[in-house]
Amino acid sequence: MKGFIRNFKPLEILTDEQIEVIHRAALDVLEETGIRFEHERGLDALEKNGCQVDRDNMRVRIPADLVEECLRKCPSSFHVKARDPKNDLRLGGNTLYFEASCGMRTVDLDSWEVRSATKSETVDGLKVLDVLDNVHLLSPYCPYYGFEGVPEVMKVPEMVAAKMRHTTKVQMTGSVKDSEIFNIKMAKAVGCDILGLVNASPPLTFYKDAVEAIFRYAEAGSPFHVSSGAGMGSTGPTTVVGSTITNNAEIIAGLVLAQLIKPGTRVWAGNFVTATDMKTGAPAFGAIANSLHQVIFNQIWRKYGVPTWTGAPAFSNSKKVDFQCGYEKGITAILAAVSGVSVIIMHGGIYGELAFHPVQAIVDDDIAGMVGRFIEGVEVTDETLATELIEQVGPIPGYYLNKAHTRKWWRNENFVPNVADRLTYPEWIEKGKKSALEYAKERMEQILAKHEPKSLSKDQDKEINEILKEARMYYKQKGLI
Amino acid sequence: MNEEVLEKLKKAVREYNVEEGANWATKVVEKRIDPIKALDVLTKAMREIGDGYDRGEFFLPDLIGAAEVAKSILPPIEEELKRRGREKKSKGTIVAGTVFGDIHSIGITMVAALAKADGFDVIELGVNIKSEQFVETIMKYKADILAMSALLTTTAPEQKKVIEVLKRENLRDRVKIAVGGGAITEDFAKDIGANGYAPTAPLGIRLFNRFIGVQ
Repeated sequence: MKGFIRNFKPLEILTDEQIEVIHRAALDVLEETGIRFEHERGLDALEKNGCQVDRDNMRVRIPADLVEECLRKCPSSFHVKARDPKNDLRLGGNTLYFEASCGMRTVDLDSWEVRSATKSETVDGLKVLDVLDNVHLLSPYCPYYGFEGVPEVMKVPEMVAAKMRHTTKVQMTGSVKDSEIFNIKMAKAVGCDILGLVNASPPLTFYKDAVEAIFRYAEAGSPFHVSSGAGMGSTGPTTVVGSTITNNAEIIAGLVLAQLIKPGTRVWAGNFVTATDMKTGAPAFGAIANSLHQVIFNQIWRKYGVPTWTGAPAFSNSKKVDFQCGYEKGITAILAAVSGVSVIIMHGGIYGELAFHPVQAIVDDDIAGMVGRFIEGVEVTDETLATELIEQVGPIPGYYLNKAHTRKWWRNENFVPNVADRLTYPEWIEKGKKSALEYAKERMEQILAKHEPKSLSKDQDKEINEILKEARMYYKQKGLI
Repeated sequence: MNEEVLEKLKKAVREYNVEEGANWATKVVEKRIDPIKALDVLTKAMREIGDGYDRGEFFLPDLIGAAEVAKSILPPIEEELKRRGREKKSKGTIVAGTVFGDIHSIGITMVAALAKADGFDVIELGVNIKSEQFVETIMKYKADILAMSALLTTTAPEQKKVIEVLKRENLRDRVKIAVGGGAITEDFAKDIGANGYAPTAPLGIRLFNRFIGVQ
């Protein structure tokens, strides 16, 4: 998958000196304040490599030279294998990919109330995502957190299996109660990579299951991202740069451990720092402060040479597919893109991770298309400058619509949205005064009527079933089913 | 002079100054000012901030800041009340905690602080609390109210579990149950058989007061 290649210098809002100050402050936090790792084997690995470990409070202090060495070991770009080679990814460098978002539930498009998805809605959601041009990979538990009839603890493995079966695009997966054991097995069965996800717990803490997941993914050779997402003013400083320091320290600590376990491990840095809504205490999705944080994050991690991921555009604070949703996602996505992020999670999410809907994913695909087209910029060549043509056409009555140059270049210069209302006013009246939301609903029906994703082979499908069975046994023995 | 001391106490709350709060509370005791008057000043100041929060003038950092001053004012005042043999009757005992599997604490900590400042005794259990522990604590302290928080849709069902355990132990009627947290709604609270739901900490305190019959 080509993704979008950024063709200009990325937006930077801090000077090199300011970035250096922040970088040094993160190193100080790692070396002096330290990070709590609630995992004996993790503490052993860090201690063996020169970190100061206080076993009583599980606090690790990581020296600056070890940080710098481990950051150097992170590959600045790497290949990720999909089920279908045309969907392989090359993460890092100047490439931007879009990742489909996820939701606990689906949402009714009339009442805007949420409810559990059915299995058939899950398959439909995946069909739509399989088709959308600007969805390059899928997030953990995308589209929904399990579907009806699945026990709580089996939701992640069942969703991994559903994605294996109904799409050939790369998927990312979360770690919930050792689910990564089975996610890794399913990926091996199908012969593709699976992207892991490990979250730190701000401030400055890694819980046991997160560290266990780092070990499992690194030892299995699976690429994964270490991400963190403090609430600014609640689990991180309220100042954007303050939360940049804590966020960086949290992510770096995870990447250091990954590189100590297996040097050269494919990792990238994930950011979902969100402002705190000071009325409700909830994350303020769509807030502009989130973009300030993301833009600075991208600048710093580009300096480290590690690919980046942003959670910010995934979620608007709106509970509907509406104006607020459009502007929050649009503004957040474009700022992340022009400041050079590698992956933007966006399609389909409605209000945090509360809900997903394929219609949202379809309108988001147009945002992704616009943003992607923008960052590919323009070529400045003799042909695009078109000076000869300008001379030829001259002033009025000359015009450009009938020229070969126009026929050749207009598609390249423009992104044509799939579902935006682009009609003239009289046409719009004549065709029923439809909005983008209505066109998106129509597009969903068309996709569902026509598209069949490439299915797994019989053997692969059988193996997936075996692994799910194994997972059920594992959780039964633990008393979780 | 006494009025001045009480004014300074109020100012400490208004300015979120924990040190000044403790100082002026100590001065209340030194100057032998009626500790009940100090408690009234505190309650009034906290209510003003709570009302301001509802109006959108004050925000969470203000609520928490005020609650922390209240925490510093209460010990010397309550000690003095005890010494005078006039232990202020607690409005009631609340057992508060975040349910099993959930580690979010900011909300319930704020509820506990505001409830204490409003005259309740609060037993704070912390986070990731199993149903058995809620029940044992309710029995031990003969609690009047159980306040449970859940921030995740996956942990919200734990609130129902606790209520069921209470029913099984024939304790359900002994406590009024308030639920809250990001994952909780009025409908959910009704479905699981809670007595009430509040979306914010100040509204939680109002709910507790309604439980005990105070407007």
